[in-house]
Amino acid sequence: MEAPPVTVMPVTGGTINMMEYLLQGSVYDQALESLLHRLRGLCDNMEPETFTDHELVYLLKGQQGNPFILRARRSLSHPTSPWHLRYLGQPEVGDKSRHALVRNCVDVAASHSLPEFLNEMGFRMDHEFVANGHMFRKGAMKIVVSKLSRILVPGNTENTERLSLSYLVELNVLAPAGQDNMSDDMRSFAEQLKPLVHLEKIDPSKQRH
Amino acid sequence: MGVTCVCQVPVAEGKSVQQTVDIVHKKLEQLGAVKQGTFCVDCETYHATGNVSGQPTKLLYMMHNSETPLSCMALFEGGPCLIADSNFDVLMVKLKSHFQKCQGTQGGVWYCDNELQCQRDITLTFCVFPQVEYCPCVVPGDCWNLTKEFMQSFLGPSVPELPSVFAAKPEGLFAPSDGVDTMTQYLELFNKLRKQQIPGRFAGKKV
Repeated sequence: MEAPPVTVMPVTGGTINMMEYLLQGSVYDQALESLLHRLRGLCDNMEPETFTDHELVYLLKGQQGNPFILRARRSLSHPTSPWHLRYLGQPEVGDKSRHALVRNCVDVAASHSLPEFLNEMGFRMDHEFVANGHMFRKGAMKIVVSKLSRILVPGNTENTERLSLSYLVELNVLAPAGQDNMSDDMRSFAEQLKPLVHLEKIDPSKQRH
Repeated sequence: MGVTCVCQVPVAEGKSVQQTVDIVHKKLEQLGAVKQGTFCVDCETYHATGNVSGQPTKLLYMMHNSETPLSCMALFEGGPCLIADSNFDVLMVKLKSHFQKCQGTQGGVWYCDNELQCQRDITLTFCVFPQVEYCPCVVPGDCWNLTKEFMQSFLGPSVPELPSVFAAKPEGLFAPSDGVDTMTQYLELFNKLRKQQIPGRFAGKKV
């Protein structure tokens, strides 16, 4: 008998299966201030947190199937903070009426030897970028407005080039598997951001070339 | 935490492992040590399932210490070491098609503490591993002689030479807060036992 999918199993082997519920959109640079103003009004009563992060995406190619992807991220504004390693599973196909993209998520805090360790495991860096922007919170929801920049010289985060004339807007929630009502709350919040930004469920697998 | 030394004590002639441990414990109690509780150190070994480069497969060791229950340590022997939170174990489950678990090694540990020093025994099926920690000091070069003298008082001639993790930094900081140097010593001893081809699976024992 096959094991049930991760989305309906809150606990596996003593560990809670965490799922990421995600909606994404974008705004042009000139609309950024309006969006930030709206978010300040809707979100929890705090100044938004600004961040500048360096993310490296690693691939481990197996003998068959798709490569295993891990994302390693560090803060350039707080260089002594631990690295953040993230695994994102394939989007759950499930119920098409679900308002948000749902995928398994594993977050690991790690020491500064992470890049060297991943290389030793056999992972190879596929690409890297710098993300800077603002982060807001509304209860369990996190709203991130970020500008992505390409790194021109590998490893040199000082020399970057903006990827586009827009900001990426992401609304996400991390919750144990089986809490699909989260996507309804996210949709309600996303409605309040219209028409400044349209947050949608975008399947990343359909965007690969 | 302070400078920590893990060594190996051979089983006494004509005695069982438990009897050897009891002898060591009695000597410690005579020195004024007081038993504080128990804890556990365990080690799981993984090997890569695919080997694209054609080089020999490296072994990845995942170690846990109940003294730092929210952390795990991943090490390659002679290679880099990663300290991560307990979700790294979940990640290794996701990676099971790339890294498979070998037979595990686990030890039960007995912990005793006195005012200045604490000592722990880890017993595997055929060996006893005392661990001595000198809490007030973090520089190995400054306290090795004192630590060695203390170990001689209850281990006799079984006291080891300066551990290799110290040799690399005799005047440098021990960095005990992350436990890497301690776990590296355990790993070296576990692997030494494996290479001696001690039969059967290592079984944990709480003393």
